[in-house]
This record gives sequence, structure tokens and C-alpha cells, in this order.
Amino acid sequence: MPDLIEIAKGLLESKEVSFIIGYTKDRFGRVKPYIAKSVEDANNLMFDHHSIHNLAVYLTRLKIPENGRVGIVAKSCDIKAIIALIQENQIKREQVYIIGMNCSGVVTHSTDEWKKENIQIKCKYCADKAPMLYDAVAGTAEPFEQPDDTQEVLMQKLETMSSAERWDFWAKEFEKCIKCYACRQVCPMCYCEQCLAEKNQPQWITTSPTPAGNFSWNIIKAFHMAGRCVGCHECERACPMGIPLTLLTRKMGMVAGKEFNYRHGMAIDQPTLVGSYNFNDNEDFIK
Amino acid sequence: MNIYKPELVEIKDIIEETPDIRTLRLQFKNPETQKAFAFKAGQFAEYSVFGEGECTFCIASSPTRPEFLECSFKMAGKVTKAMSKLNIGDTMGLRGPYGNHFPIEDMKGKNIVFIAGGIGMAPVRCIIWNVLDLKDQFKDISIIYGARTVADLVYKNELEDWKKMAGVKTVVTVDPGGETPDWNGEVGFVPSIVEKVSPKAENTVAIICGPPIMIKFTMPVLKKLGFKDDDIITTLENRMKCGLGKCGRCNIGSVYVCKDGPVFTYTQMQQLPDEF
Amino acid sequence: MKEFIINTDEIANLISSLPADKWDILAPAKDGKSFDYVLSSDKPIINSEAPPSKISFKEYFFPKSETLFYYKREANEISLTEPKFAEKKLLVLAAKPCDAASLPILSKVFNWDYKDEFFNKRVNNSVIIGLSCAYSDESCFCTSVGLDRNNTKGSDIFLTPFNDKQYVLSVVSDKGDSFVKEFLPNLTEFTGTKETKEFIDNKPFDYKKTKDWIAANFENKIWAETGEVCIGCAQCAFVCPTCHCFDIVDENCDLNCGRRIKNWDACQFGVFTKHASGHNPRNSQEKRYRQRVSHKFDYYYEKFGEVLCTGCGRCTRGCPAGIDIGEIVFSISNQ
Ligand SMILES: Cc1cc2nc3c(=O)[nH]c(=O)nc-3n(C[C@H](O)[C@H](O)[C@H](O)COP(=O)(O)OP(=O)(O)OC[C@H]3O[C@@H](n4cnc5c(N)ncnc54)[C@H](O)[C@@H]3O)c2cc1C
Ligand code: SF4
Ligand code: SF4
Ligand code: SF4
Ligand code: SF4
Ligand code: SF4
Ligand code: FES
Repeated sequence: MPDLIEIAKGLLESKEVSFIIGYTKDRFGRVKPYIAKSVEDANNLMFDHHSIHNLAVYLTRLKIPENGRVGIVAKSCDIKAIIALIQENQIKREQVYIIGMNCSGVVTHSTDEWKKENIQIKCKYCADKAPMLYDAVAGTAEPFEQPDDTQEVLMQKLETMSSAERWDFWAKEFEKCIKCYACRQVCPMCYCEQCLAEKNQPQWITTSPTPAGNFSWNIIKAFHMAGRCVGCHECERACPMGIPLTLLTRKMGMVAGKEFNYRHGMAIDQPTLVGSYNFNDNEDFIK
Repeated sequence: MNIYKPELVEIKDIIEETPDIRTLRLQFKNPETQKAFAFKAGQFAEYSVFGEGECTFCIASSPTRPEFLECSFKMAGKVTKAMSKLNIGDTMGLRGPYGNHFPIEDMKGKNIVFIAGGIGMAPVRCIIWNVLDLKDQFKDISIIYGARTVADLVYKNELEDWKKMAGVKTVVTVDPGGETPDWNGEVGFVPSIVEKVSPKAENTVAIICGPPIMIKFTMPVLKKLGFKDDDIITTLENRMKCGLGKCGRCNIGSVYVCKDGPVFTYTQMQQLPDEF
Repeated sequence: MKEFIINTDEIANLISSLPADKWDILAPAKDGKSFDYVLSSDKPIINSEAPPSKISFKEYFFPKSETLFYYKREANEISLTEPKFAEKKLLVLAAKPCDAASLPILSKVFNWDYKDEFFNKRVNNSVIIGLSCAYSDESCFCTSVGLDRNNTKGSDIFLTPFNDKQYVLSVVSDKGDSFVKEFLPNLTEFTGTKETKEFIDNKPFDYKKTKDWIAANFENKIWAETGEVCIGCAQCAFVCPTCHCFDIVDENCDLNCGRRIKNWDACQFGVFTKHASGHNPRNSQEKRYRQRVSHKFDYYYEKFGEVLCTGCGRCTRGCPAGIDIGEIVFSISNQ
């Protein structure tokens, strides 16, 4: 199998893509997003279990030429975000050259070791760790010990709570929010030109990081992810206050799966859940 | 002292200048505050509608007329929209005055050319009345004012007053296509009207405020007429919140527009990084 | 500087003996995986080797949201009332030198010309006990910005570990002196010499030189290179001990009452400098990232004679895009 750098060099040399969104290591060995613009740059590309960032976010943040094409290094979970962006008409399939990576699970921090306790929970559910939509594939997937789903345990605990207790749980979590909007900025599915949180006429969201303001922000953000979240966990990773944001989005994803048999980011030609209506849709959840 | 707490002011009068520009005449609720309130032409203040927020306008009335304060504003966003619905007798908040001011002392004994476009007339009007009220201390005065259309001209009555004043040359213009059948002023963009009026640069200070595009094209005209960069004075508008040099919003390089500005000479402006 | 020897149990005693109705104690504690400054924690961690908290302690001096005043409308009359200010004093225990130093730095902007009484009252109402630091990682660079492991800037009292059970307590300020006299009157004077760990600075730079470079390079490709992967959140500004930008907004409780508030804000947001007309002087993330670096290492220094950074490395550790501000300044110093 050709390796990542070879593929990248070929793409940049032939000018098939104008740049490649990938990962590199800094001089301390910390992995970070990187834009390779030349054949020389391609030498700096890498991929390993610290390549946690979902680079699909850059597809809407960076200027991609209308008829141009850019390369992106993506693991299976990131590819879901790319597919979702195509489903939502944010990018065209032809605009991206996907270098799919065979992935062995990722860990959160650059200092974390690649071992069971540190591997992301999402990796446990990542079907076969092999890319599902790609233009080229690179890397090898090594077997790894599945992490425990501590989140599911917490979810079950929340299920058993009374609604008042649940409210308290979230009130306490959201109270911590400082409105840094890292959860929004890092989310590949948050691409609105002007976020609702930035509109002041009318003011939908109280901008203050107060309990009321935080509730409105965190709940609205979660709602806007209904049936759209691709489960990359980037919001939770980015949150400096350690708020378990994906508990909400995962729950909603589960509802979408159960009620509508829908998962976002699975096929580029599938109509989106929010954008389609089916008479047979189950409406049990509206109570 | 709570530097963020405004004083209360009452709206004494409202003038609808254009379809989207209003002038409010304000007076402090506390007569002592009114008496103590001192400012210089070019300074600005933070005006507030309680429940909506604050916004920044220059003080448009002259310090030589201290019985009241005026501001003229264009409907732009949240607060200005709320302000456009207020009535005479309503209460607002006001903090200020903030920022630096026009160098009126240095302008004495000189000819003055005022050049303004659109709502940019608001700060200029303040210094115009300041100069006119002390007219014997200045030499020849010219006022060149332009707006998009006749309907967009502000201070229409005052423009007429200035036209009639001895020693004051007032030229009012509208953009081509903005004239009405009975319009008797100039038609043309401000830069070309400045060129046409051709004020002499010798012993003259030019004060120019208006949209960036107008300033951009008038500068070369002024340079051609022989104005020195030090004698061209303008104001900058960066987004502001505190007006106190704290909130970090208004800086251009190490300059805080709210403290070191909003009045700058063209020389100073050219030294700023290109980020305004 | 007066120096005493203090035992760990004397510190524990101090914590339990401070009258709880008059004093709040803020100290690092472990909350899940990360360290944080926690108010009145029952398990404060006084450990030089502990990493810096994820978010600085500035929230206790410059809160994320602070009421400036309340307004009330009755008939057509509006009245304004001042917010109540907490009477309780704050003891910060085991502050990292890179946190403590932020207070005098912030004080410059909050007190040039107009004085921000909200910040000042909180600072005056506190006593900061700094703790010598024995931690370091790739992200910190305190020595490059004129600080070090044992720097007492911003501390009223400073602790340096002496052995397992004892610290050397140095009295730094008058406030610290009165505090020691009142609450720790029986300490033994210290006359020996302290030993401290050396700090390995991974990214040494001369902040005076980098300032000049930044001032001369407003237009430089470095800004595009560093800003291109920045996603424009405010993580870096909000965890930072020295970032001080804020917004002012009104919040209604109902039609006739409400308050005006000061909320944290940051130059990395696109709307930060956007005019109502739509014009935006910093209309790209590159420009916004340039502002961040320039403000910290050039503008603030130019204006207030201090670098707006204590080298704590927080912004870097938390950056979702792996941007390291110290590396950027380090690479500038090697230009
Ligand atoms: C020194 C100075 C003097 C000014 N003088 C005048 C004047 O005399 N007349 C006038 O009509 N306008 C003036 N402006 C512009 C005026 O401040 C804005 O149009 C106004 O704040 C818009 O507020 P808003 O709440 O309606 O809009 P929103 O977009 O809802 O504003 C939200 C916030 O953005 C800020 N803001 C928005 N646009 C601008 C802008 N263009 N400049 C600065 N801050 C902005 C304000 O602080 C406001 O609190 C001046 C600006 C400055 C900096
Ligand atoms: S909401 Fe969170 S988990 Fe879902 S797509 Fe966005 S960043 Fe990923
Ligand atoms: S990342 Fe966390 S702290 Fe920041 S806005 Fe989102 S929830 Fe709040
Ligand atoms: S530098 Fe990092 S933390 Fe700061 S705005 Fe950019 S992405 Fe967010
Ligand atoms: S800029 Fe970064 S390193 Fe410097 S003080 Fe702020 S958080 Fe710490
Ligand atoms: S770096 Fe940005 S957010 Fe921080 S103080 Fe400077 S302007 Fe404000
Ligand atoms: S407006 Fe706040 S610093 Fe200038």
C-alpha cells in the first residue's frame, strides 16, 4: 500500500489538489493539524493514534476554490463528517480528495499513551476502522484493546434519574461553561456564516456565561445537532471546562437511529433526516 | 467610582434629520451634572437604552452651548433601532466624555476647511459651531458637505444658516442622481467638489470626516492642493464597548482609538497599521 | 524580605482556622482528570510539582460575567443601583507564579487613567500565597517573559518547599506582612538557604527583541502560516491569566428591570471588531491571530511596559488546533 506521504506528494506535484489538510508533528512530537501546500510540505505529513483532530472542520473554515479540489487526511470517523457535509450541500464530492486512513484508535492528549484507558470511546463503535469513502487509502490498522464505554454507564445513570435530578445534573455541568464557543468552532457540522449566538435582533441566545445564558447556548447547540451530529467527540475534547457535551448529542443520535433508522454521514446520496419527511415516520417521541 | 455606570439624561427634543438619521437633544436629569459636564469638540460618549445596551456616538453639539447635549445617529443595529423608537421625555443613560478632541487651540488664527460626508457631519458639526461661536479667533471658514441624496442631508436648517453667514463659504453637494428638480446645490462626489472649491492650503487646517471611501479619494485632492499631513485632521470609528481603554476592542496596533483617538492627524493615521 | 519556616500542619491549621464567614480559600484541587482552582475545597493540593490548572484564577478577580449595575423602571423614572460587593476576603493558596504574576500585569490596563473598581476591589480584598513551581512541560516558557519558578511577582506571601514537611515562607508585600502577623504569628524565622529546581526553557526567546520584530512585521507571511489552522474559538483567551477583553451587554429580568453586565470576550471571535455596517477591520482568522500575538508581545509592552503573557502555557495545552504561542514567538526570535 502506498504510504501517506507518497500519495500526498503525487497529488501536490500533479496539482490535482491545491493543498492537503493533514497532520504533522511539532518539534516536541505533538500532533497538530497542518496544511501541506507543496511537495516539500508533504514530507511533514504523518498519521498516528494522536491524530485525533477531525480535520473536516477545515473544509468549511478554509477557502476552497469553487471548482478546485483539496486533499484531506481522514480517519473513518472524520469521513462521516465529510459525507455529512456533502449531504448538507456544504461541499461537493469532487472538491475533496479523501486520503482515508486505516486507524488504530485515537487518544485525546499528546501526552496520553496508546492504551485502553486513553482510547476514545467513539473508537469502540467505529465499525471496522477502515475508511468507507475515499480516493486513496493509507496506513495500517493495528488491533487495540477496546475502551470501556464509561459514557454509556453515565447515560444509563441519567436514564434512571427523575427529570428534576437530570435538570440538576445539566445545570451543574452547564454552569461551568465560559462561552468560549470552542465546541462550536471545532465542530465540523457547525458551519453557519452567522451563528444564532451572534445574532442580536432578535437575541435568541443570552450571550452571558450565566446559568440562564449557558443553558440557552448549550441546549440550542445540542438541538441544532439533532440527527446531524456525526459523533466525532471534538466538542467535548475542545471544551476547556470538561462538560460532557457528547452525552446529549449521542443521545439524540440514538433517538434518530431508533425512531427513524437514520444515521448521519453514512452515504452521500442519502437525504438528511432534517431535510426529509416520511409519512411512516414514527412520532412516538413527540409527547 | 463605578466607571461603567452612566448618568441619566432626558430626551428634550427629537429632530428627524433623514429617513434613518435622528438627532436627540439631551439634558442631564441632575442639573448639577449638567453644569459640571465639560467636554471638547471631537469627544464621544457612550449612550444607553436600558435593556438594550450601549453604543458610541460623538457629541454633535458644541461645547460653547453647554445647556444641552446632542447626538445624531444612524439606525444601524440593536441599540440604534431602540433609540429610534424613543420619545421626548424618555430617559437614557450617558457616560463620557471620552477620547481626545480636535486641537482647537492650535487652529486659532488659521483658515479652516470642514469636509464631511453623510453621518460624518455629526462630529464636524460640533467643531463647526465651536469655531463659529468664536469666529473672530479664526480666519476664513469653508464648509463642504455631501450626502448621497438630498433626503440624506443632515442639519438642513443649519446648512442654510451657515450659507448666510459672512466669512463662511458653505458648499453642499449630493451624489450624481441624488438631486431633486429644485436642488440648487452642487451635484458630484465630495472629492471632486473639494477640487472645484479648491481651498487654499496656506495657513489652513482641514477637518475631514465621512465614509472611508470618501476619505480615501479626498486625501490625494488635499495633498495636491498643498495641505500638509499634519494639517489634515480626521476621526476614526472602531467598534467600541467601554470607551475607557479596557475592553480591548478598539485598538489599531498599540493605539486605543477610544483613548488616544478618535481624532487623528493624517500623519498619525499613516503610522498606524492598516487595520481599520 | 522576611522569611520563616512553616510546617505542612501549620498550613492545614491556617486553612481550618480562618473564620469561614470572613474568608474564602481558593486553592488547587483535583477535579476529575485536571487540576483546577477550587473554592473552599476540602482537599486543597499544595504541591509544587502539580501542573497548572486548566483555567487560570482570573475569574476570581475578573469574573466571566459581572454585574455593573441594576436598573429599574417605575412609571417613566429609571433608577440605577450599584451591585453588592462581597465582603468576604479571598485567600489564594498555592498560586502558581505564572498565575500570581498576572494580577500586576492586568492591573496596568484596569488602572491606566480610568480605574476599574471591580477589579481593584477584588485584588485589594485578597491575599495571594504563591508557591514555587517545580513543574514544566513543552508548553510553558515563564523564563522567557521575565519570570521564573520562584518569582514572587503578584504574590503577597511566597512558599518554597524546604523538605517533605516544611516550606520557607517569604513575606513579599505589606498585605502579606499583616496577614502573617495576624494569622501566623508564631513562625520561626528562617535563615538558611533554599534550593530550587532548575527550569529548562524549551523555547527561550528575548521578549524585547521579539517585540521589535513584531512591530516591524505587521505584514508577514508568518501570520498566515500560524493563523491558518486556528479555528477562532476563545479557549486560549479564556483560560489565559492575562487576557482581559470584555463585552458589555444588558440583560432584562422583565420589561422594567434588568442589569448591565461585563462578560469575557476575545479577539479571536469574528464579530469582535465587526461594525454594525458589516465592515470588519479584522475580517480573517489570520488577522485575528496576528492581533493575539501582537497584543501580547508588542502592543501591551509598548503601552504598559509589560508583556501580556506569563508563559503559563495554558492556551497551548488546551488549543483544539494544537497551536503553540510560545513556539510562534520562539520562531520569531530566530528570524
Ligand atoms: C468614536 C465613534 C463615534 C461614532 N459616532 C457616531 C455618530 O455620531 N453617529 C452614528 O450614527 N454613529 C456613530 N458611530 C457608530 C455607532 O457607534 C454605531 O453605528 C452603533 O454603535 C451601532 O450600534 P447598534 O447597537 O445599533 O448596532 P449593533 O450592530 O447591534 O451593535 C452592537 C455593538 O457593536 C458596536 N458597533 C457596531 N457598529 C459599530 C460601528 N460602526 N462603530 C463602532 N462600533 C460599532 C457597538 O458598540 C454596539 O454596542 C460612532 C462610532 C465610534 C466608535
Ligand atoms: S456536536 Fe460534537 S460530536 Fe457532534 S459533530 Fe459536532 S463536534 Fe462532533
Ligand atoms: S466549549 Fe465548553 S465552555 Fe466553551 S462554550 Fe462550549 S460548552 Fe461552553
Ligand atoms: S489559537 Fe487555538 S484556542 Fe486560540 S482561537 Fe485558535 S484554535 Fe482556538
Ligand atoms: S498567552 Fe498563553 S502562555 Fe501566555 S499567559 Fe496566556 S495562556 Fe499563558
Ligand atoms: S489577546 Fe486578544 S483576547 Fe487577549 S487581551 Fe489581547 S485582544 Fe484581548
Ligand atoms: S472601547 Fe474598550 S478599549 Fe477602547
